[in-house]
Amino acid sequence: MDPAALPWWIWPIALFAVSFAIGIVAVLAGVGGGVLFVPIVGSLFPFHLDFVRGAGLMFALAGTLAAGPPLLRSGFASLRLVMPLALVGSIASFAGALVGLALATELLQTLLGALIIAIAVLIWRTRSADRADVEADALGALLGLQGEYLDPAAGVRIDWRTHRTLLGLGAFTAIGFVGGIFGLGAGFANVPALNLLMAAPLKVAVGSSGLLISVINSSAVWVYLQRGALLPLIVVPAILGVMLGSRIGARLLGTMPAATVRRLVIIVMLLAGLRALTRGLGVWS
Amino acid sequence: MELERSDRALRDLYARWLDRATKAGFAIAALAFLIYVSGAVPAVVPLAELPRYWDMPVSRFIAATGAPQGWAWLRLLGFGDVLNLGAVALLALVTPACYARLLPALVAERDWLQAALAAAQLVVLAAAASGLLAAPA
Repeated sequence: MDPAALPWWIWPIALFAVSFAIGIVAVLAGVGGGVLFVPIVGSLFPFHLDFVRGAGLMFALAGTLAAGPPLLRSGFASLRLVMPLALVGSIASFAGALVGLALATELLQTLLGALIIAIAVLIWRTRSADRADVEADALGALLGLQGEYLDPAAGVRIDWRTHRTLLGLGAFTAIGFVGGIFGLGAGFANVPALNLLMAAPLKVAVGSSGLLISVINSSAVWVYLQRGALLPLIVVPAILGVMLGSRIGARLLGTMPAATVRRLVIIVMLLAGLRALTRGLGVWS
Repeated sequence: MELERSDRALRDLYARWLDRATKAGFAIAALAFLIYVSGAVPAVVPLAELPRYWDMPVSRFIAATGAPQGWAWLRLLGFGDVLNLGAVALLALVTPACYARLLPALVAERDWLQAALAAAQLVVLAAAASGLLAAPA
């Protein structure tokens, strides 16, 4: 069936439903929604990838803005940790958005497909690690990259600090750049970078990743807005859907088997990545 | 201990502003979208015609529809689709607003390094929003 033959109103309704579902699944699987939104909507909906990437940035921005206040109040999101990383990340994300809008669509589709498949493998392979014996490096100590939070499960107060600050700044430069190109929130990379590279506790890594995305995407999204690459008919249903879905997902968090949802997400990402890859290579358009 | 207390106060301040600004932004976005899809006001690109253009790269879309770029949308806020761009821009301004509120609090605490980081972030966000570097050729 020719998608153009369908009435226009079908698409925002379908987009709201898909964004709602992604919002639920993303929370349950512990991944950022943008990494599902861009390949799925880019592959299954008739919109050009330029508009899908712009909506993807807004999608990730909206989800993290909504989740920010409780994460900050609980201490899971650390402003001290976020501020230096977000600064380099937002500069890189801005540059990435400029590069992304200058690249040919086929090349972007191909790179997006390869990236999404690589991320699915990364999510499948990555294990978290919480280390309490970390010594802060000089730059980390200068920036005060430390804090404490109350672990509700254990009922104890956890003190934490990070290390490898320079490497962390380098990682967030790269992550911001890639996120800007493809319209991803990049939570998939933020959490391992904070947890495995810089040794932030997993809960602090997850909470701070959300806040990082809200700052970093606020920079890149202006590029898409200035270039006319934000279509309200795509953006608004997507952000309203993900907001509602995220809230439902947060409520289901204690009852759903997270490992099963995570496996489902990996399979969906592999399929969406393959679809984008074959579309980019002209094998299946 | 003193550092943690100060951190908590700053986090609470940021969270309060983030919460209020985000809720306001979403409410405005939802309202603007209802106005747009109800057809209560005209759109630069009428909804029924949009499917003819939305599979085009953005450069061709702009050439075909005359949709605004840069800050030109500010002059067209009476159109439903452009009104929604304004609502989206408000959401993109939530983070700068929170940083702008944080900056004087950091200065009051004489936390010069964090204040410098917040000021630098505001400069980056302002540069991004200004369109000076991102404006179309």
